[in-house]
Amino acid sequence: MAAIAAVELRRFLRDKSNIFFVFVFPLMLILLLGSQFGAGSGQARVAISGPGSALSQALTAELEASGADVTATGADAARTDLSRGRADVGLFLDDADAEAFDAGRPAELDVVVAPESAAQAVLQQVRSAVQAVGLERGQLAALSGAGVPQEHAGTALDQAAEQVAVPTVEIVDANDVEQEFRGLGRFDLGASQQLLLFVFLSSLTGAATLIQARRYGVVGRVMSAPVSSGQVVAGQAMGRFAIAFVQGGFIMVGTALLFGVDWGNLWLSGLVLVLFCAVSAAAAMMIGSVMDNDTAAAGVGVGAGLVLAGLGGCMVPPEFFPETLAAISLATPHRWAYDALADIQRHEVTLADILPQLGVLAGMAAALLVLGAWLLRRSLNRAL
Amino acid sequence: MDVAEVTAKDVLDVRGLVRRYGDLTAVDGVSFHIRAGETYGLLGPNGAGKTTIISMVAGLIPANEGSVRVAGRDMTPSETEAKRVIGLVPQELAIYPDLTARENLKFFGRLQGLTGKDLTRRTNEVLELIGLSDRAGDLTKKYSGGMKRRLNIGIGLLHRPALLILDEPTVGVDPQSRNSILESVERLSVEGMAVLYTTHYMEEAERLCDRIAIIDEGRFQAEGTRDQLITLTGGVDRINLRGGGSTALAAEALRALPAVQHVDSDGSGLMLTVSDGPTALAGIVTGAGDAGMSVTSVEIVRPDLESVFLHLTGKALRD
Repeated sequence: MAAIAAVELRRFLRDKSNIFFVFVFPLMLILLLGSQFGAGSGQARVAISGPGSALSQALTAELEASGADVTATGADAARTDLSRGRADVGLFLDDADAEAFDAGRPAELDVVVAPESAAQAVLQQVRSAVQAVGLERGQLAALSGAGVPQEHAGTALDQAAEQVAVPTVEIVDANDVEQEFRGLGRFDLGASQQLLLFVFLSSLTGAATLIQARRYGVVGRVMSAPVSSGQVVAGQAMGRFAIAFVQGGFIMVGTALLFGVDWGNLWLSGLVLVLFCAVSAAAAMMIGSVMDNDTAAAGVGVGAGLVLAGLGGCMVPPEFFPETLAAISLATPHRWAYDALADIQRHEVTLADILPQLGVLAGMAAALLVLGAWLLRRSLNRAL
Repeated sequence: MDVAEVTAKDVLDVRGLVRRYGDLTAVDGVSFHIRAGETYGLLGPNGAGKTTIISMVAGLIPANEGSVRVAGRDMTPSETEAKRVIGLVPQELAIYPDLTARENLKFFGRLQGLTGKDLTRRTNEVLELIGLSDRAGDLTKKYSGGMKRRLNIGIGLLHRPALLILDEPTVGVDPQSRNSILESVERLSVEGMAVLYTTHYMEEAERLCDRIAIIDEGRFQAEGTRDQLITLTGGVDRINLRGGGSTALAAEALRALPAVQHVDSDGSGLMLTVSDGPTALAGIVTGAGDAGMSVTSVEIVRPDLESVFLHLTGKALRD
């Protein structure tokens, strides 16, 4: 059984076109999608240019403490980042600003805001940070003026800050959809969508190897060996599963390492992947069993894979679906896996929270495996 | 076959095998047995039922009636123990073209239960045996037809089966590879392996097989050694006379000769069925010449399995 699974995986990986479409292409697509749509990730991105100074350090610390992603860069690079949507707000500091800050005088900071509407919220975040830094500086100056040594004044302010419960502000989007995606990394959404799309698609197109095995006459030889037809079917199912899981695992690890995609609780994400691979493997067995032409099977695999992925929210997030389409999408395994991954990535969920999605995926896998095994057994007999 | 002939040394014992596909009876009451070290041939034209018999013997398809016992065990599609002692070499090339010869051998070896050092050793031995050691790492899709055929046979030998089943192993093979395959089969038989060999090439059956069954339309028409089968034709020879002149008159004259049983004319010559051809030849040539035929060539065809098949079924093997 393991020998059959291993040889199926080996044959799949040996095909050079598979290497590109299974491993390289998904990552390219995730990179492309992340680059294009990453601006809406929800995290404030601030570019600070100018000489290294106490002012820039204080602003960076304050902004990062408020959850912003701060980049220290040159003035030209900051403008480029703003124009290309890689930054929401640019803070342009110069020597005069730094000197004024050091001297405790008011400074006029140059701020450039990106045209996106979301950048206004970031501007407000920057304003708050500037005010906080200015306030702290003013407090220090007041204490120093009152005769408190500077080092003691700083310590006193820190202690005071620890004792005072500072009210926090949580920015909530009025738009539910935007709120749903808040906090996601720029590649997180695309990675989970492409993971599901490609694992299912590759499994279906890989069903052609099942047809080839029958055409090559290998099936007859395998069935003449001391293995039962049940073992052959199980081996083929394991082979399909191994192909899907290797690809899915590669995309998860690859996107985490290359693009910093946060898959949340890896045990839960892995469990979703396992069940989704089982569904994919069973679907591949069905196509490989009912069809006799490997080229046609690959075509059907691509078509069915893309349609189901589209319906299941792997092209446009299902959060944007109208009600009817959202209801239809629940017929696809993609949608259930997407929902489970979304919960794991965006919210700190437990196994119990995603049990409904896992249950549906397990049910789909079981039903398709039984049907796929029956069809495969029939096709094996047909090949003899 | 007389059941009493079956001995403890029989590796294969087939009795009353029947296989139907709807209204068509592809195999109809076939019985035979093969002993260790014996090569048994199924000789018949395409569609005679040879591959169907092989499929039942190898446990790929069930028989509607009858039984197959291999090394004392009943063979059915669900029987795995009996399958351990057979090696099947299908008519079609049953190898993965996108794997190397070594990978193909190791895969099928694992299915036969070989593992670890045993698997590696047997893989190397078989590669040596089939002459593919130096190309073992190449993908088999780059192999010539003969090399693929040799690998196809090698896979069947991996686990040293007691019964090797070869289904038309030389179809589409060049003469050199064909000879190499036939030599391999002869060697295996000498080493004690029982071989079931199907072919529609009379020469292969004559060269390899200790006993031969002539099969047509799913039934055994006759079975025995080559010499036993030849006697079924009555021991008559064929003499072909080529030439011009008055062939019609010559045919009349030759029919009168006591040794001549039958005369046919095809316009360019005469075909005679003759008892003891070499002895009667001189009188036949003289008689044809006296009747006005100018004989330009003479051919004596001694009886062979082709003749036996023709005699039994009224058609040629390659029809």
